[in-house]
Parts: sequence; structure tokens; C-alpha cells
Amino acid sequence: MERFPLKSSAPKMGTTYQSVYKKGGNASNGRNVHSTSEDDMVDITPGLQQAAETTPTNHGTFQLYEHAGRNSAASANSYIAQYFSSSVGDAVIFSGMQGDDDIPGIGQYDDFHTIDWQRDIARDRMRHRYIVKKRQDSLWDLIKGAHDAWSGWVCVLLVGVCTGVVAGVIDIGASWMTDLKFGICPQAFWFNREQCCWSSNETTFDHGNCSQWMTWAQVFGESRDGAGAYIISYLFYIVWALIFAALSASLVRMFAPYACGSGIPEIKTILSGFIIRGYLGKWTLIIKVVGLILSVSSGLSLGKEGPMVHIASCLGNILSYLFPKYGRNEAKKREILSAAAAAGVSVAFGAPIGGVLFSLEEVSYYFPLKTLWRSFFCALIAAFILRSINPFGNEHSVLFFVEYNKPWIFFELIPFVGLGIIGGCIATIFIKANIWWCRYRKYSKLGQYPVTEVLVVTLVTAIVAYPNPYTRMNTSQLIYLLFNQCGISNSDPLCDYDRNFTDVSSAIMRAPAKPGVYNAIGLLFLALILKLVMTVFTFGIKVPCGLFIPSLALGAIAGRIVGIGVEQLAFHHSKIWIFSGECSTGDDCITPGLYAMVGAAAVLGGVTRMTVSLVVIMFELTGGVRYIVPLMAAAMASKWVGDALGRQGIYDAHIALNGYPFLDSKDEFQHTSLAADVMQPKRNDTLAVITQDSMTVDDVETLLKETEHNGYPVVVSKESQYLVGFVLRRDLNLAIANARRTMEGITGQSVVVFAGSGHPPPGPPPCLPLNRILDMAPITVTDQTPMETVVDMFRKLGLRQTLVTHNGRLLGVITKKDVLRHVKQMDNEDPSSVLFN
Amino acid sequence: MYSKYVIVVLVATFAAFASGQSYEDKRCKCVCPSPAAVFNKTVADKTADHRRHYIANVPPNKCNCAGVIIPRDGPEILGREQEFCPRCECKYENRNTTIIKVVVIIVIWVIMLLVVYMGFLICLDPLINKRAKASYQEHTNEDDESTLGGPSTQMGARGNVLNRVTHQQDKWKRQVREQRRNIYDRHTMLN
Repeated sequence: MERFPLKSSAPKMGTTYQSVYKKGGNASNGRNVHSTSEDDMVDITPGLQQAAETTPTNHGTFQLYEHAGRNSAASANSYIAQYFSSSVGDAVIFSGMQGDDDIPGIGQYDDFHTIDWQRDIARDRMRHRYIVKKRQDSLWDLIKGAHDAWSGWVCVLLVGVCTGVVAGVIDIGASWMTDLKFGICPQAFWFNREQCCWSSNETTFDHGNCSQWMTWAQVFGESRDGAGAYIISYLFYIVWALIFAALSASLVRMFAPYACGSGIPEIKTILSGFIIRGYLGKWTLIIKVVGLILSVSSGLSLGKEGPMVHIASCLGNILSYLFPKYGRNEAKKREILSAAAAAGVSVAFGAPIGGVLFSLEEVSYYFPLKTLWRSFFCALIAAFILRSINPFGNEHSVLFFVEYNKPWIFFELIPFVGLGIIGGCIATIFIKANIWWCRYRKYSKLGQYPVTEVLVVTLVTAIVAYPNPYTRMNTSQLIYLLFNQCGISNSDPLCDYDRNFTDVSSAIMRAPAKPGVYNAIGLLFLALILKLVMTVFTFGIKVPCGLFIPSLALGAIAGRIVGIGVEQLAFHHSKIWIFSGECSTGDDCITPGLYAMVGAAAVLGGVTRMTVSLVVIMFELTGGVRYIVPLMAAAMASKWVGDALGRQGIYDAHIALNGYPFLDSKDEFQHTSLAADVMQPKRNDTLAVITQDSMTVDDVETLLKETEHNGYPVVVSKESQYLVGFVLRRDLNLAIANARRTMEGITGQSVVVFAGSGHPPPGPPPCLPLNRILDMAPITVTDQTPMETVVDMFRKLGLRQTLVTHNGRLLGVITKKDVLRHVKQMDNEDPSSVLFN
Repeated sequence: MYSKYVIVVLVATFAAFASGQSYEDKRCKCVCPSPAAVFNKTVADKTADHRRHYIANVPPNKCNCAGVIIPRDGPEILGREQEFCPRCECKYENRNTTIIKVVVIIVIWVIMLLVVYMGFLICLDPLINKRAKASYQEHTNEDDESTLGGPSTQMGARGNVLNRVTHQQDKWKRQVREQRRNIYDRHTMLN
């Protein structure tokens, strides 16, 4: 960072244009008496420098809002020259430090407000400069400076470690609890079925059941097979599912309602600069983890991947409070949250790079390169930790990791693109149906029975899912089965091929399908429909639930069915020209598992509208870069079909449904309205303004009572309406309350001085200087600015409001809420649905 | 509040279970078709479907047909290893039983604690808190307090630890009520 960003050759004083404040002679407040600064960013005259070294410095007295690059240095200088008359003794005050006497609470935001990125970043820059300056003073300050410099990396390190550990806990807990529905390992109850049979000595056992593992039927004295055993198992399956779902729903309702759902739409909104208090808190974290284990185990059609992003973000938020640099600055905190979201996907799929790209492509709003590297590091650490825990005993951090090494032939691109189209269609059906159902839930009586709804959905899912072995099993296992090739170790009916084991020289992979395969296809088709329907009703119930896994499963089923079809086609007609060359040699040429993977990518891509990150996640899952082209083709086809059939991905659709104030940077604003059409106040209304040095405390408090605006422009006088700056309601409230508490003699008659003439009215009630809370560099536009530009400014600069001027005089204000409402209005949607304060 | 009990009970649980570990952490698992399916061309479909699992505790470099299957089923496939062995898939795997045990027990405990606390909040808390309710109604602006941290610590300095815990709990309850109102009643979020 440059040390003298605003240094210019012209006047020697006060080069930080806003940090200069000419203090009036009346310094009776006891605060700013010796407010000369020594910060090196101000190129002060030597004499002043001298003075600075002898007087106690007073950092933290002036809240500086420096917005680099907004104004030119020249205009700054002229501005300063206006204020800086001559006297060297005039105070140059600025801060940005969280000084001891800083008003508590400044820089925080209320619930459901948006943050002002520019202001927060400027605050951080000031703080940073202060630390850099202080570093030369003493060893302790040097250490503090070093700590500040590396705190971002330490923070993401901690986030990565914690995310990895929590993911391990969820994986182990969920896999154990899932198998609890089927039976128990009496010798060591903490093992799931796979672990229980880990070192079984039996040479044959069916469907993974060994003698150590007791199904519930066996526990109750039945045999393993038979009608009685089936009924007992069925009942236990349903009962356990209901218990888990009821626990999950009631824990969520009791302790942390914010823990329900996937969380990605909300994380997206939060990262775009929205405040939802408690959404990333401790209780949300605990309940989301526990509730996620329970709801995944209950066999509902949901996954843990989306909530992992929320959990990681909670960890990022909680851990950022260890580092004031991030904990007390909402804009900086979002850098940590972006990294945490990357770590969440990294552990969910064992795909660190995919996680970083997911954070970049899907969730993050403000993503500088620095954050990219931190996300990379965070994702790396999280994946490493989870891999060390080795929750599935397969040396990987996901259950459905598969290793592929088979080539694909050029002709196969056609079925892959076809799968992309199918995936796009399935995804569109899913999104439309789910949004319709969620809207119905929102506006009908159904929404009043959240726990009952969960129980009913669980009951129906359990009853319908159990008879079909492909829906009965854990969805991750199903995906693993579908992704897998039919090797020796796979004895599922899906791999019921007429293999020739005897001839060593011939490949065993190529074989005609036997009836088992066709039965399996039938069952899979039923499973596809069932999963699609159940997921529509499941996504949005009030338990932690994600939709990555269900949509992967949907796509994998469709892909596997297509894959088997193509495989059999190639087997029976291996002499057709499209297969000739590759398939006629007798080697296996078509891998149905690859189709399952491509199909999974297609549906997931259609549902979430991810492309790059999705392909990377998928090839990190398979450990081979050979399939990038098929995956890209499918993802692209699916996105095209999805975009053609329905505009939004599921997360954007949910953001719109909930009315979160998310200004999507992907959309374009194509209307011709002007700033004057959007701004507040409309005609006939008056704009609530504060004058810079003529209103009393009582006047200001009356204004605060009578109006509900979140900020007020400060003008020179009501007659001239020349703009001085902008002050936030919250800051004003806090500052006045603080002044009444700490300063002597402040009464209702005290004049509030924001900036100004230097001639405060003499008299007993001392004036109340509020220059510290005044933003002297508000962004302004003229009333003729096209809204396209204004929307772009809001998106790119992360503004909270902008002031509208006409002929240099203040005319009105445009807030983010106005912009969002305007966008909704232009898109013929209900503008009042925006959730905003 | 409960943490001490939790630790005591957890330690006790671990001590009770630590002794009975009989499960290996490493294995070599081989899956083969049944020898009959490989050698006998006219075998019926049924038996061909059966797979044989061989699980042995051998070093990773011995995790192959010669190291696992020959010692076990040597006589059956004697002289025909060349045909049988390529059909087998061997995989070396390891796991950590201690981590699994600890995690599962912790999960059980956390769920039980939460359920007990939930029961407490539903059944007993309304009775206990009836009298104390009035004193906290003045703090309506919870956000300021939760963000500042200042006032709450002052509160704590005045009162004793119990007061502080009660105050924190109360604040938290208010926040949860607010969340519930947002989600379950007004449906403004997370639909």
C-alpha cells in the first residue's frame, strides 16, 4: 500500500482532504484539546510536526471516511484551502483507529441493514495506516503490527481447521446414525455397518450384513430374512426416521430457527453486504451441525453439502471475532466469510479448488485477489484436516469418490450433451415445482405447522423409500454405486452382467446385460421419480437441508440409465461406424458410471447454474482430468436449457422468493429511467436534512423522532441546500447519547456542529461537535444520471445510498432499497416484497 | 453451566469403553468371484453371482492375491493362480476407531444435552421465570447490547455470575423469539 496516497506538491498541509478539520476556537468539550496528529499520511509542515511530537496524540477522535479515488487531489486541495485559513495551530484531526474514546457502536449496523462497503474499507485503511505508523514507536507496537499483518491468514487457518473437524464430526455422526435405522453393532455400538464388518472373517456376506452386525429384526429374535423380519425392519426404519426428523425439527425450532434450510441464498445475501444478526452465531452453528446429522440420518431426500457452507461461514464469523480487524469491520469480515464458504464446499466434496471457485462463482460478491489466496489456503487446510480424520475409511473426504481411468470416444459427446439437456429439464421442473411449493407454504396455513410438516414429509418418505433398495440406502451410497464401474467387488443387481470369468485374455467388462440390470433400471426409474417429487417437498422444510446430494442423485440415476442403454447399444451393434475402431476390439468402450457422473453434473448445474466450479468439483471427485470435456459439454448444455426454460437458478429464485435485498451483478438493468425518477423524496415532499452548524440537539432529536430515514444529508443551510456530507441515523443516535453521557454541559439547546464556519454561537451551552460521524465524501449523482449507471454504482462500489444533486444543490437521496424496489417494479414484480429496513 | 458435568461424564464414558477395543484399524480386503465361476465354464448362474471376501491384516505391500488369498484358499485354486488372481480386487484400507468412537459418543451426548435442555426450557423454565420476568423488560433494544458488549459486562460486574448467566440467557431467548417470529409467524425469511 502506498504510504502517501494523497500527497501532492501543491499546498503543504492537509493533503488528506477529508481528514482535515478546522476546529473552532471553542474547544471546551475537553476532548479535542490537543488534537494534533502525527500520522505520516498527512504531510504537515515541520513546525507542526514538531508540535505533534510533544503533544499527546489523539487518534481515534475523528471518524474519517476516506474514499480513495473518488475525488482528485486537486479538488481536495482546493477544498482544504477553503477551510484551512492560515493558522498552524488549527487542529488536524483524524482517526479510523478504534481509539479508547471512540463512541462505542460506531461502524456497526442494525439488523436487516446493508453495509456501506466504501466506508468500512476506508475505516480499515485508516486503521492500517495508524498501525504502520505506530510500528516504529516500540517493539510492542511492532509486534502488534506484525500480528495485524498476519491475522487474516491465522484467521482463515483457524477457520479451515475448525471446518475440517466439524465436517469430520458430521460425516462420522451421520453415517453412524444412518445405519442405526437398519441395525446396531452390539460389540461396539459406535460403529456403522461398514465399520462393524470391517474385519469380519466370513468369506461371503450379502448386502454388507455380517454376523457382527445385528439388524433390528435379529435383535428382536427374528431371522435375518423372511416376512416377519422385513416388517420389523420396515417399522424400525420408519420409527427411527421419525425420531430423527422430529428431534431435528424441534431442536431447530427451540434453539435456532435460523439453522433451517440450506443457507446458501442467505449466505449469498450476507456476502453481498446484508446484515442478518444471529444468522452466523454460535447457536445457529451448534444446532445446524446437530440438526444436520439428524436430518441426514432420517433418510429425507436432502444432503449436507449446502449446510456445510453455512456451517463454515458460522465458524468464519465466530472466529473473526478473535481478530478485531475482521470482527469489528463488516466489510473485512466478508473476506473471511468468502474464504469460509470455500472451505465449506471443500470439505463437502473433498474438492478444495472447486470450493474456491464455488465461492468465487456462486456466493461471493466482493472477491479481491487477496481473498482468492486466503480462500485457497482455507480450503486447502480444511480438506487436509478432513482427509486426516478419514471419516469414511477410504482415504478420501467424500463417500462417493471414484477413480476413473477409462477413455471415452468422440461419439459419446452426443449422449453427454443429451444428458445435459435432460439435466436442464429435470432441474427446471424441480426449481419451478419447489418455488411453487415454497410460495404456497409461505402464504398458506401450511406454514403454521412447521414441525408437523417435517414429520409428514419424513413419514411419507420413509414409507415410500423403504421398499425400493435404491431409495432405502443412503443417498451418498446410491451416488457412489451409480458412479462406480461394475467391477468384481460390485455385486449389486445393477452389475448383473453375463460376465465371462474364465477366459483370461478377454475383458470381463464387456458383457450383455442380464435381467438383473433391467430390473435395476426399473427400480432406478422409480427412484428417480420418487426422489424428484420428495426433494421438491423436502427442500424448504424447517430442518437443515441442502440440495446438492439429491440433485446429484437425480442426475446420476438418469445418467446411469442412459449409460446402460448406450453400453448395450455398443455391445449389440459394435460394428456400427460410430463404435467401430474403439469398441470392436473387444475392450470395454462405454462406462455407464461416467454417464452417471455427467448426468449428475448436468442436473446440479441446471439447478444451481454453476458451470466452472461444478466441472472442477466433479473432476476433483473423480481424480481425473480426462473427463473435463464431457463434463463441460453437459454443464453448458444444462445451463443453456435451464436459462431458456426458467431465468433463475434455485438460489436466486429463493432469494427472490424471500425478498432479500440482493443486487445481482449478473443481471443487467435495461430500462431508461433516470435518477430523478427513483430518488426520495418524490414531488411535494420535503427532504429531511440537517444543517451543518445551526441545529440544536433538540432539533436533531425531533427530526430523528419524526422521520424514519436511516441517514440524513447535512447541508450548509436549509436555504442554500449546498451539500456538506451524510450522517447515519444510528451514528447520530449513538453520538448524541454518548455526548450526553460523557460531556459536560450538553443540553437540548446545544448547537450541533458537523462542519463549518468556525463561528459557533457563544453562550453557556457548549456546542456539540459531531464531525467524527459525518461522512464528508458521500457519493453524489445528478438528477439526470441514468439509472443504469446508478445501479452499476450500487453494485460495483457496494453503496448504501447516493445523494442526488441538481445544479450543485441537494435534491434527494437514492438508497439501496429504492434501487431494489425500482428494479422489481421494472421487472413487474411486487416491490414491497423486499425484506429491508 | 453444564460443562463440568459434561466433562466428568464424558471422561467416565471413555474410561468405560477404552478397555474393550477389539477392532483393527487396518485391513486388506480382497473380493473375488467364487472359484467355481472361474474354473467351471458350465456353472449355474446362481453361484457365479457370489463373491468371496477375504479380509486380512497384512502390510500394504502384501495386500495382493499372493499375500491374502493363496494362504487362505490355496488348495482350492492350486495351480490355477494365473487364472484366478487377475479376477480379484484387493484394497488396503485404514481407519481410526478411536476417532469414530469419540465422535459418536460426543454426538450422542450433545444431542442428549440439547434434548434435556429443551425439555427444561419447555416444562420448568416458565414456572421458574415467572417472577423474574418483569426486571428484564426494559431491555428492548437487544441489538445495541449484543453488538457493544459494554453494557452487558457492566451488568455482570454489578451482579454475580449467576445474574450474568441469566441475563445472557434472557438475551439469547429474546433473539430466538425474534428469529421464530421472522420464520414461523411472519415468513419473511428462509421460506
